[in-house]
Amino acid sequence: MSTGYLHENRGIGIRHHQLILPSVVCSTHVARRIANGLDAITFAHQHGCGIIGGDVAGIDDFFSQLAAHPNVSSVLVVGLGCETIQSQELGAKLLETNKSTRYQIIQESGGVQGTVDSGIAAAKQLNADFPKNQVEIRNDQITVGIDNSNPKIDTTELTNALKAAGYKVEIVTDSHISIDNFSKLMELKAQVIISFPDENQPASGFPLIPVINIAGTGPLHQATSQDFDLTNTNSSQEILDLLAKVIAGQETKAEKSSVGEIRAPRIVRSV
Amino acid sequence: MDSPLKAFKRTDGRWGLRNHVLILPLHSALSTTARKIADDVSGCVALNHDWSGEVDNDLPRVTKTLAGSAANPNNHSVIFLTLGTDVELEIIKQAKAITKQTIIELSLPKLGSIQTLTEQATQEAIKLAKEAEAEARVPAPWSAIVLGLECGGSDALSGITANPALGVASDRLVELGATSVLGETTEILGAEHLLAARALDEETGKKIVAMVARYESSINYEGIDIRGAQPSRGNIEGGLSTLEEKSLGAAKKAGNAPLTGVLEFADVPAKPGLYFMDTPGHDIEQLAGFAAGHINVVVFTSGRGTPTGSPIMPVIKVSTNTPMYKAVTDFIDLDAGTIADGIETLEETGARIFDEIVAVANGQETKAEKNGHQEFALSRMYETVVPPLFS
Amino acid sequence: MYCEPVMRKLLFLDPSDNIAVSLADLEIGELIEQDGTTIKVLNKINRGHKIATKEIKKNDGIIKYGERMGHATSDIHIGEHVHTHNVLGDRLSTEQVAK
Repeated sequence: MSTGYLHENRGIGIRHHQLILPSVVCSTHVARRIANGLDAITFAHQHGCGIIGGDVAGIDDFFSQLAAHPNVSSVLVVGLGCETIQSQELGAKLLETNKSTRYQIIQESGGVQGTVDSGIAAAKQLNADFPKNQVEIRNDQITVGIDNSNPKIDTTELTNALKAAGYKVEIVTDSHISIDNFSKLMELKAQVIISFPDENQPASGFPLIPVINIAGTGPLHQATSQDFDLTNTNSSQEILDLLAKVIAGQETKAEKSSVGEIRAPRIVRSV
Repeated sequence: MDSPLKAFKRTDGRWGLRNHVLILPLHSALSTTARKIADDVSGCVALNHDWSGEVDNDLPRVTKTLAGSAANPNNHSVIFLTLGTDVELEIIKQAKAITKQTIIELSLPKLGSIQTLTEQATQEAIKLAKEAEAEARVPAPWSAIVLGLECGGSDALSGITANPALGVASDRLVELGATSVLGETTEILGAEHLLAARALDEETGKKIVAMVARYESSINYEGIDIRGAQPSRGNIEGGLSTLEEKSLGAAKKAGNAPLTGVLEFADVPAKPGLYFMDTPGHDIEQLAGFAAGHINVVVFTSGRGTPTGSPIMPVIKVSTNTPMYKAVTDFIDLDAGTIADGIETLEETGARIFDEIVAVANGQETKAEKNGHQEFALSRMYETVVPPLFS
Repeated sequence: MYCEPVMRKLLFLDPSDNIAVSLADLEIGELIEQDGTTIKVLNKINRGHKIATKEIKKNDGIIKYGERMGHATSDIHIGEHVHTHNVLGDRLSTEQVAK
């Protein structure tokens, strides 16, 4: 039996990641400076302003899903102030699913340094207010996401083995590009992902979720075998063994190299 | 007026106002690596983006943006991080067709792992940054300046203070033989007739009107209400009621100079003069189009205040009102709110902006550079249908 | 050239305009005498926002910088706040997109 983190109504996390969430591209750099001053996760993106139509609700919802993910301990929203996705509104919305949410607005915080300083203080306060709550976890509390971007791979046997071991399983095959499938799996609340990237795509990661990369037989994967945790010649049992270790806290290769970006789904051009 | 400029002369005749080493990842999975190297090695900058090699409708636009960014004259050299695919090789080929600066390609599959790639790229970056640092600026003509005009987080004072003051500076530079480029198609909608009337020839005038009409029909095609995004909520709070009002104020950045030409997104202006480039109003996507169009310095006016910069071009921020300038002085370079308060005339503020452009062109760091801002965003059309301008 | 002394509360941009830009926060009932005109402020108007300087009928153009920036969606009286509640752009607004 392994231990995880009880993250209130979001469920059990196998990681305890504080998320510094920039609500707009204009605040991504300030968010990064805040995250660098802590042991927190952030990501660069190009959304939050100049978006229209379905993208407004889509991006807003995507950010909400990120904040509601079980691996997230607390969230600091960093906004600019004049953007389409308003951080105080986003912050209020996130509070419904994640009590440990605060927000910080650059235009109201006295500049870059002011925002970085008060952002770091707010994030530290969140850590103090919502300390780690370690609990024993069972396999049926874990959703394993499978990114099957590689059409050559049949994951039936692996899926059966995971289910037999008690895990919940979500499989996404929507795209041949893992970054898009990771976003889907995040929304499905997968706490850990087993990725079979397309043979023309490299091993990659998702900042909030440990990703186990499994290499195919193509030349790119063969040449970059060191970036993969396992290969498709490994048995389902070997995958399950590594999975158990990762759930228990062992870092995947993607976590070690902090490789991978988060990509939000978009429909329409920016205006 | 003799040029007081000193810049980096490129072998193809273009001028760099900066001399940095650009780390350019050609896949989203290499973006964190590029960022890490640029953070660790002084004299290096990096783009991060989420393009993952997709071959779709947006590929030509993505290719043009990344190749153009690599070929910007502000780059001393470029280190491409690649997976070695054909689409990536095409981007590098296009960059090499424009710039003669050093280009290094480091392929992940050839080097075997992210760790080896990081080590190898760091070594190359250190070497190139040393070379770049040793290079001296030499006297440059006025034509060395290719200025980008941008506004973001506009308020009702934008069109009265900072924008027309920037117009004064832009006019002076164009008069002296420099290039100035206005962008943001969204933000000239309703003011295109004023720019068309200033076109040097009939074709250019027709083109700018057609470009705005094309944009308008692409948004109408989507059947989407643009309000909420344009004017943005911040614009409306600042007193702007309609997109046309915002546009009439935004166009003032381009002063009164005649319009030499009209550019598609990321096109490079062929000769000095005032241009309009088709870009989104999204500040960071617009900056990417500017960088890819070889603009080497930007003035960015703002009513609400934004800290953003560019990895490739120095970005000078000008506030439209004094309270904002005072609230966020650590990321705004100049205040034009003085005009609304009767402290300065437009010409005086315009002269200050002109002097700042010259100082920054000669190496003075902007606040965005000091704060290390290197935001970047690829402009994509997704499902939006945008036909070519003229058949 | 717009060189307005500090005490001026309104900025008139073009003689053909039917609005002026407020350079200060204006309070209800305030009387502004400037450039030969007297305007009684009818709403609270923040700095940078627009005030009607002529009587504007529903569907009339709103003129700023001597150019049309949209139209009135209701009658607007001298001294009233001119903004999104009584102005709509002529282009790319919901009405037009629906056509």
